[in-house]
Amino acid sequence: MMNLKYIAVLCSFFFFASSAKELSAQTNEAIQLEISEREFTAGEPIVLKFSGTQNTSILLYCANSYGSTLITPKVENNQLHYTIPTQIATKIGAVNWKLVTENNSLSGTFTVLAQAKPVSMETYVGPPSIAAGGNDYTMLVVIPTDKLGNPLKSTTEVTVKHQFLANETNETVFTKNLIAYQNIYSPIESGRMLLSTECLGLNSKEYTVHVLPAVSTNFEIFAKRSHEYADGNQITTFTTSVLKDEHNNIVSDGSFVTFYITNSDGNLLKTSGMTIKGVATAKMMHPDHSATWSVKASVTGISESNTISLTYKKVMDDFTVAFSENNRNISVGPLKSFMNQLIPDGLQVKLIIYQNKKIIKEYSKESREGSVNFELNSNIFGNGNYDFEITTAGITKTFQGKKLW
Amino acid sequence: MVKTDKNIIRGFLVFSYVVIISMLIFLISSSFSYLNTGADRSKLLHTEVKKAENYSPKIVWVEDGNEGRNVDEQTLIKIENDYLDAWYVRNVAYKTNQTVGIADYYTDNARKNIAEFVAQNKKQQISVEATTLSHQPNIEFFSEDGQLVVLSDKNVVEYKKLFKDGKFVMETTETANYKIILLLEDGFWRIRHLVKETIADFDKTIQNKSFANLNIKGINYYPQATPWDMFGDQFDIKIIENDFSIMKDAGLNTIRIFIQYDDFGKAEVKEEKLQKLQQVLDAAETKKLKAVVTLFDFYGNYEVLDWTLTHRHAETIVSRFKNHNAILAWDIKNEPNLDFESRGKQTVLAWLDHILLVVKSIDTKHLVTIGWSNTESAHLLKDKLDFVSFHYYEDRANFEQSYLDLKAKIPNKQIVLGEFGESSYGGFWKPFVGSEQKQAAYFKEMQQVLAAQNISFMSWTLYDFEDIPASVVGSRPWRTNPQKKFGFIDKDGNRKLAFEFAVE
Repeated sequence: MMNLKYIAVLCSFFFFASSAKELSAQTNEAIQLEISEREFTAGEPIVLKFSGTQNTSILLYCANSYGSTLITPKVENNQLHYTIPTQIATKIGAVNWKLVTENNSLSGTFTVLAQAKPVSMETYVGPPSIAAGGNDYTMLVVIPTDKLGNPLKSTTEVTVKHQFLANETNETVFTKNLIAYQNIYSPIESGRMLLSTECLGLNSKEYTVHVLPAVSTNFEIFAKRSHEYADGNQITTFTTSVLKDEHNNIVSDGSFVTFYITNSDGNLLKTSGMTIKGVATAKMMHPDHSATWSVKASVTGISESNTISLTYKKVMDDFTVAFSENNRNISVGPLKSFMNQLIPDGLQVKLIIYQNKKIIKEYSKESREGSVNFELNSNIFGNGNYDFEITTAGITKTFQGKKLW
Repeated sequence: MVKTDKNIIRGFLVFSYVVIISMLIFLISSSFSYLNTGADRSKLLHTEVKKAENYSPKIVWVEDGNEGRNVDEQTLIKIENDYLDAWYVRNVAYKTNQTVGIADYYTDNARKNIAEFVAQNKKQQISVEATTLSHQPNIEFFSEDGQLVVLSDKNVVEYKKLFKDGKFVMETTETANYKIILLLEDGFWRIRHLVKETIADFDKTIQNKSFANLNIKGINYYPQATPWDMFGDQFDIKIIENDFSIMKDAGLNTIRIFIQYDDFGKAEVKEEKLQKLQQVLDAAETKKLKAVVTLFDFYGNYEVLDWTLTHRHAETIVSRFKNHNAILAWDIKNEPNLDFESRGKQTVLAWLDHILLVVKSIDTKHLVTIGWSNTESAHLLKDKLDFVSFHYYEDRANFEQSYLDLKAKIPNKQIVLGEFGESSYGGFWKPFVGSEQKQAAYFKEMQQVLAAQNISFMSWTLYDFEDIPASVVGSRPWRTNPQKKFGFIDKDGNRKLAFEFAVE
């Protein structure tokens, strides 16, 4: 009794004697930690008990992964009891503590471990679509967590299950660095793959990964046209064979195919289409003069087709030109097509007028009902001699030294 | 009479016309400029860069590869930024007990843990000022879709200071290893899981160097035209070289120079300033002068969240010059004890304690000291310094005794008198107080004591100055005027009587 009083007096003396600015309490006798556990399971109450003092002004500093705090004690059974707050007792990781006394002599650490049973499986699957063929893969990451949201201890067993068509596979992986993961390679065929995981009897929900066809292999192209004449009016349709990846999966709809047409002059024409059920279609108008096209298609950077050659025959061998009204009216036509029918409207006729070997004027008109009329205005073209060059359907006719008056 | 009245009315009319017109112009222009404010098209996309450096602990990435997908440089930078920001907002949250910004850097589930701490600490009036000083992060795993990363962060040195009811309770420096899972959400790498795996007290022991007797006969130096702005726009190495010759010829062997924290660019030290410092040190080496380089001049924040910035400042400067032969010592801070009252002794000492570690860990060659302003504070942190230095501006009659008392307190360290001097000012604001004769007598007597006790010294200062910046002693004339007259050479370049006592 005497002893207790003595301690109390001494304690309070030291307490008041300590600097007013600092709250650290002075202790003179050996304070001892009365519990020996160094590991706790998350969620279980943790109370640090110290004997040797009943000075409730002694705070306990305590810090875990997320933060730190100070704990005020309660006296029970002549001991100081520090109840570790729930936010520390429920999160896994190393926890350190220190009694805030003059010399901070007493400190220690303990570890909070995850609960044994998972209650949720944090699952991350990505990418959500992969290419068939066995080269591409998706990754499944699982974090099995306990009731309090703590990742389970490392080397926890996780079963990764996946189904594709008739195949169902189970594989076992172990957690490491808080997570477990598995790479899942694509099958040969395209389709849907279903994934799920299991950990200690707990099953995750279902995850879907789309196995898309891989990129196309080389293919063939075809051309279809209503006739082989270069009438500048009909349309040639290009189609591809069915585009497939190397495992015979038809490529995804919408794959973009570009057709490159090189004509006799070496000029490049381009048309394109997107695949539907593997077939892409594109169109191009016939040329208006005889030509040979070489056509090749490609999926840019991925695959290409064979080259096909198309020849367009000319629709006419000659056309008539009539000068009238002091040679100021030039009438071209009738322009006749391959069956001697009047050529459909829209054939381009070009007139170039020279004087002294110099181009003075160029006119370009489209045919209407098989003919084209050029009127040479006397205000523009004074009286004199002119040369004319008329081109249509790839045929050029020249008239030298025509006199206008 | 009538004419005068008419003129008055005329004048009044003209005047009121001018007033009304100017008011109209003002109204129209202000309403026009008001209508022009508001939605600025360039601000619509939030393209402006707002990032300011506010947290820069030392980061050393462990680059030993990782499981899963390869991490590209860009992603690594983004992860580093967001991860450090996560630490920063958490430190701010525990300091202020508010959860501002936490939502950006912690996922829904993770931020609950922080909110619980904040709620509890707020209720019990606990606040925690914390900062991390170094990290060694390592990417352990990067998921194939680039949305999840597992980091380990080793040897995270964390300093914490805890308060309860506004009063300081304790401070601690700890080293911990962490494992962290971050998820990419809304363009932020957010912490999903944070697990401290091990924790230990940080070892703050410092190795001090052994060295021969210092024998400093030195002087505190600023160029005459640019006191307290040695590395500014008017920097001229010719003037400085010339001054070095004067000092060398006078028999001095050491100069003490000052590096202003703000002027040198805070955490991001300006290359231009470093080059000027290089020139000064090179010139000193040529003239066979040693330099005591005083860091953190005019720095006065000391706040825990500002530490990392000061650490990067010191790191940049010290590592640049750690092998320079002209440097004798780094003086960490000039007269930090003057900030005890305004900033708190514990705050200042904790800052010094950790900045010492930074400087000593980088530079193992040069000595380290702190320029305490008086003998009463000079014993602080003595065990962590290579030599002790103090300043003395009090009565010279008591100097020898003060020094002997200090020597008794610190028997096994060399003690350097880092600043001393007397103003020769005896003008209007302090009539008859000082004169050149009195100044010369002061130095003569001081030199006798210094010689008798074999004390290393650096006097204040080479020149009388024309202008003293207000940040030095304020702007009151009875303070600034005496401050101008501490030199051995007056403002016209003439040697004052004290000059011959610059060295005994």
